[in-house]
Amino acid sequence: MFLVGSFFLFAAFLITTCIFVIFSKNPVNSVLFLVLAFLNSTFLFILIGAEFVGIILAIVYIGAVAILFLFVVMMLDIQITTLIFNIKRYIPLALLFAGIILAEIIYLTVFKTSKDNLDTFIRSKNNTEQIGDVLYTEYFIDFQLSGIVLLLAMIGAIVLTHVYRPTIKRQNIESQNLTTAEDRVKLVKIKSGEGIKDD
Amino acid sequence: MTSLSFELTIGILKIFSFVVPVLVSVALLVYLERKVLGAVQLRKGPNVVGPFGILQSFADVLKLLTKENLLPSSSNKFLFIFAPMLTLILSLIAWAVIPISSTYVIANINIGILYLFAVSSFGVYGVIIAGWASNSKYPFLGALRSAAQMISYEVSIGFVIITVLICVGSLNLIDIVESQKNMWFAIPLLPMFVIFIISALAETNRLPFDLPEDEATLVAGFFTEYSSISFGLFFLAEYANMILMSSLTVILFLGGWYPPIDIFPLNVIPGIFWFVIKVFLILFVFLWVRATFPRYRYDQLMRLGWKIFLPFTLIWVVITSAFLFYFGLLPN
Repeated sequence: MFLVGSFFLFAAFLITTCIFVIFSKNPVNSVLFLVLAFLNSTFLFILIGAEFVGIILAIVYIGAVAILFLFVVMMLDIQITTLIFNIKRYIPLALLFAGIILAEIIYLTVFKTSKDNLDTFIRSKNNTEQIGDVLYTEYFIDFQLSGIVLLLAMIGAIVLTHVYRPTIKRQNIESQNLTTAEDRVKLVKIKSGEGIKDD
Repeated sequence: MTSLSFELTIGILKIFSFVVPVLVSVALLVYLERKVLGAVQLRKGPNVVGPFGILQSFADVLKLLTKENLLPSSSNKFLFIFAPMLTLILSLIAWAVIPISSTYVIANINIGILYLFAVSSFGVYGVIIAGWASNSKYPFLGALRSAAQMISYEVSIGFVIITVLICVGSLNLIDIVESQKNMWFAIPLLPMFVIFIISALAETNRLPFDLPEDEATLVAGFFTEYSSISFGLFFLAEYANMILMSSLTVILFLGGWYPPIDIFPLNVIPGIFWFVIKVFLILFVFLWVRATFPRYRYDQLMRLGWKIFLPFTLIWVVITSAFLFYFGLLPN
């Protein structure tokens, strides 16, 4: 009873926050609602007993990705009144994604019913240990491939944005650390009435 | 029904038994900081209110409470008030999983260390929301600095935690402490211990990494526009976070509630005593560093995080796991 009640509570919150993400006029509010949506999905994961996945979702998406979103969105100079754009333009793409996700859910819940041995596998250990058991053994190739995809995306972003500007003056930390007082300062004894001789 | 309400009462009492000492030790820590800084700079520090000035921070809190709470007219009112609350709440909910002895903990969960890591990484939201909601230049710059800084140092904190977890084989905080019964991890993992303390300084925005509130360039950084008790909440949260990171250091590296050597006169002293002593020592290091080092420049801070700590911790993770694997010392 308690579990079912909390499921509906968090699911309702999740859907509400998602709606606010789309319809907020201010993009910063949108990102903050997105954070709430991530938090609610973390709670849902914990409710079904997948606490590892839930907490990793929180660490990665709330603790890093959403902060970077917020970082970028806060720096944009957006006139809030001009933000009321034509939503209809995005409807076909949105329907396509929604259709794909719906098809995946139907496939998993209706057609893939033989999950008996999966269930016994899940109940045998806590889910952190299960992920550790299979991640680098059964799913080694998939895991490494997804890592390489992320690496490619990162290198691509760096290559696209990195412009070498020869006019910028940079500091050479090593040469700075290697200098001593003798390189910079010289003590000169001056006899009165003679001044400094340049040498 | 009676058993449920009984459990609820016990739970609430347990929560108070953590939150009240934390808040009192925040007040004492502020006093300690001013005394230590005074001693380092050959001054007396607070010495008027109460014996040896020990009530000074309580007097400061009363002063903050009685002042007017100003709201800037162009700020986002809801987020402006919400940000300090969020910061303090996040610094207090982390105590739910901190074990101060092998039995005394509010929630002994399987993934305690990940919970702590998640909560400490949420801490940046309070700062960034405060900076944006103030709708003013200096707070905004402080918020941007803090966002970049905390993300950078979380990476190395994550790798340090991974190194410890490889040696333990569990994500449970009590397991982590109990695997240090014979040898504290600070000895075999000394470089990680040092990096963790330095990253904890950056994560709690303490000197020499307090660039989000750099008074020399940003007035007061992200809380420039805050006054009275909403400023007080930020202040409380900063010191509560310091105590939290010190406890985390003690749990990960200094053997939690275990005495330094497991011999007769030391092991009859209750574990909470050792825990508090160790937390106090780490906190003293925080204050000592503040009194000793000048503030980093922002590019130096980023260089240290990404170009030195990140490769070093990454290589150390590989070395540690290779060592444990080669000598068959891996847990389980």
